[in-house]
Amino acid sequence: MESPASGAPDHLTFPRSIRLQYWCVLSVLREAALSTEWSAASEADEAAWIRAAQRGDREAFERLVRSYDQSVLRLAFNLVRSAEDARDIYQETFLRVYKNLHAFRFDCSFHTWLYRIATNVCLDWLRKKKVRREEPAAVETEDGPRDRTEAVAESQATANPERRLLSLQLQERIEEVLATLTPRERLVFELRHYQGLRLKAIGEMLGASEEAAKNCLFRATRKMRQALGDFL
Amino acid sequence: MTCQQVREQLPLFVYGELSFEEEERLEQHLVACRSCREALERERAWHSALDRAAAAPPSGLLAQCRGALFANLDRQKLRRRPWLTRLVPPWNWKPASAFALMATGFVLARLVPFGPTRVPLGSPAEPVAAQVRYLQPDPSGKVRILLDETRQRVVTGSLEDEPIRRLLLTAASASPDPGLRAISMDVLRARTESPEVREALLQALRSDPNPGVRLKALDALRPYASDRRVRAVLAEVLLSDENAGVRIEAIDLLTQHKELELAGVFQELLHKEQNVYVRDRCQKALRDMNASLETF
Repeated sequence: MESPASGAPDHLTFPRSIRLQYWCVLSVLREAALSTEWSAASEADEAAWIRAAQRGDREAFERLVRSYDQSVLRLAFNLVRSAEDARDIYQETFLRVYKNLHAFRFDCSFHTWLYRIATNVCLDWLRKKKVRREEPAAVETEDGPRDRTEAVAESQATANPERRLLSLQLQERIEEVLATLTPRERLVFELRHYQGLRLKAIGEMLGASEEAAKNCLFRATRKMRQALGDFL
Repeated sequence: MTCQQVREQLPLFVYGELSFEEEERLEQHLVACRSCREALERERAWHSALDRAAAAPPSGLLAQCRGALFANLDRQKLRRRPWLTRLVPPWNWKPASAFALMATGFVLARLVPFGPTRVPLGSPAEPVAAQVRYLQPDPSGKVRILLDETRQRVVTGSLEDEPIRRLLLTAASASPDPGLRAISMDVLRARTESPEVREALLQALRSDPNPGVRLKALDALRPYASDRRVRAVLAEVLLSDENAGVRIEAIDLLTQHKELELAGVFQELLHKEQNVYVRDRCQKALRDMNASLETF
């Protein structure tokens, strides 16, 4: 142990009750930020659309799709890195939503219910992928199929060629390590890190406890840290 | 709390997933431990590095997915409808049942031998499609025939009349005759202010198998080129319709109101479009919007 140094959290000098209040407000803000991103519709609007869609109103169903499909597609594409497979996951997810919407009873939020379906479809895909053990060398991009190592967020790489090469190597390595995770670890990591969902919500979607989701994320990050140690 | 315990909790700390008590203990430790603070900085750098591996879907993929999904739902809807409901529109079930009851009574009345009965063969004004169900030769040389009849009738009215509008909407979506569907589109275009009519036109634009009918629907929707929903369907059609004429009309309508998000759709189309004329139109639209012809 050392003496306090610069860079230490300042708020620890506040009384504990203030810190607890700060923590609670922060938690609420995190939840609010995520739910705003998921759907722009108010809860009342959404409930009305769900009821109308359950009665067979096609336009209401399309509104629901449009409220959530961007994040479902983002999840699918980041997981599978192929436009064709992402399209299949999107299609399968919303067809299942359409077929099972009559069974939605408002006993959980609609986005939890919908994401439960989407994560199940993704898990099925990851399990099949694991069995096939295929890792395509090329991924789909806006400019057509390209080598996997070049396809990832190239625009964010720096103009410095040396750093750019390092960045590409790191991205390639991250992709490889992600592929070694179990389907559940991969999905939990994806939902927490890239989709920004809370572990509590992830647990609800996967039919598991928050603690189980936490353990899964812990295992995933530990594996990745061990595998990526040399690169950081 | 030991340094080892802190290091294990750092990932969850960065994700903001520790309880208040856990965060407190960890932060108290960080205040006094330089090496754990440095480990925290490395953890944060590691998170940022992972962020760089994120991949966003190509522009236009969302529109393609929506187009394919809605077309798939249309097909399922048609397949799911029982055959009888395809012939009789939903609003007409009660009159249809009454008609069926009357027809049964009529047939039964003919089956019960109340003495010689002459069966009317229908007046020339009312064409009858008939099927012979039963024959009974008479010793006198006459024959008794039991017919199943479907009488046709003419109904006249304006688009203000609900039954007429319903019949037109049914013809527009369910008639097997593309000519009839196209005429229905022409008639319905006078009532595009009705959301129900617009919905029927949008469905036809998306999923009618005949390109002529799709063009009619698209033309009827012209006054609503600025409507958000119409534009969403047009974008889907632009990326998924196999007919170049429909794609060109869709470009025309979409460019009546220039919006920046359209550039992504046009760029996606340009990427895969084979038809030279459609490509030209698409490039012109992008140039008019001062948008790049390529995606980067």
